[in-house]
Amino acid sequence: MKFLIYRYNPEKDQAPYMQEFTLDNIEPGMMLLDALLRIKADKDETLSFRHSCGEGVCGSDGININGSNGLSCITPLSQLKQPVEVRPLPGLPVIRDLVVDMSQFYQQYRAVKPYLIVHDPEPEIERLQSPHDRDKLDGLYECIMCACCSTACPSFWWNPDKFRGPAALLQSWRFLADSRDQATAQRLEELEGAYKVFRCHTIMNCVNVCPKGLNPTKAIGNIKKLMLKRLI
Amino acid sequence: MTSAASLGLKAWLVQRLTAVYLAVFVLFAAIKFIWLPPQDYSQWIAWVAHPFINAALALFILSLLLHAWIGLRDVIMDYVKSAAVRAGLFAMLILLLSGCGLWSLRLLLKVAA
Repeated sequence: MKFLIYRYNPEKDQAPYMQEFTLDNIEPGMMLLDALLRIKADKDETLSFRHSCGEGVCGSDGININGSNGLSCITPLSQLKQPVEVRPLPGLPVIRDLVVDMSQFYQQYRAVKPYLIVHDPEPEIERLQSPHDRDKLDGLYECIMCACCSTACPSFWWNPDKFRGPAALLQSWRFLADSRDQATAQRLEELEGAYKVFRCHTIMNCVNVCPKGLNPTKAIGNIKKLMLKRLI
Repeated sequence: MTSAASLGLKAWLVQRLTAVYLAVFVLFAAIKFIWLPPQDYSQWIAWVAHPFINAALALFILSLLLHAWIGLRDVIMDYVKSAAVRAGLFAMLILLLSGCGLWSLRLLLKVAA
């Protein structure tokens, strides 16, 4: 099986280039991560990429596979067209090979205050929530922060410093939708302006690539609706 | 004004409201031109001179210009990084769109008079 892999070592290379690798003995059920690990073990030990859990839970191995973002550990080789083009997540600065600098992504995540904000005094027991209210968080809390969605979003490519991006906005909605959170006004105020939310033009690349099947576009729509409700 | 802080939600809302009016008016005009197309110039003028049509057309042009302004403003905000180039483009766009608007208004008023 043929692979074309993006290589760039800023200490040695003047410019990035694509390197070809061929692997024999592809077994059924092998994932792209297995192939990358085998290339690193057998062909070129300098190949750099992130990975950890290997089963789509940790979100470390988001990369660009044949032009669309995904997790290498849950992408079966049998589904991929050859040669398999593997590139780093688009739009973020490359540190080396398939490893990108995620600072901008995390900055936007941090900016939405992704934690419960409660003004009431701390209760003696847990903060209770009805099953109905808890259901509202389904499809929001499962995000693994792999950055596949935000780095598939052209609006995030053009304005990564100003536009929050789909991943951060999904988390913003996750806390706006939480019955226990008491900072709705503060959160919405923080999102005002033409950039933080409204660079989203609903092209839904984020929904297409999310390896967990989440829908950031819908969350962004809900944020806009809530803003509208408070305006009227 | 074009200050980024004030125009988020409102621009988005205006874009959607104008889109609804544009769709309704285009549908209405299409039906009119299919079923009762004006046969000559005088019929055209008579149609546009009708106060209801005249007002609806004025609103259509206003909506079209607002819709175009928000859409193109978004494109410029997305792609143009340099503040000077951006301000220049915004100014050109405002000039162009308001020129179109004033010209259309003049025609509509002339026909209505």
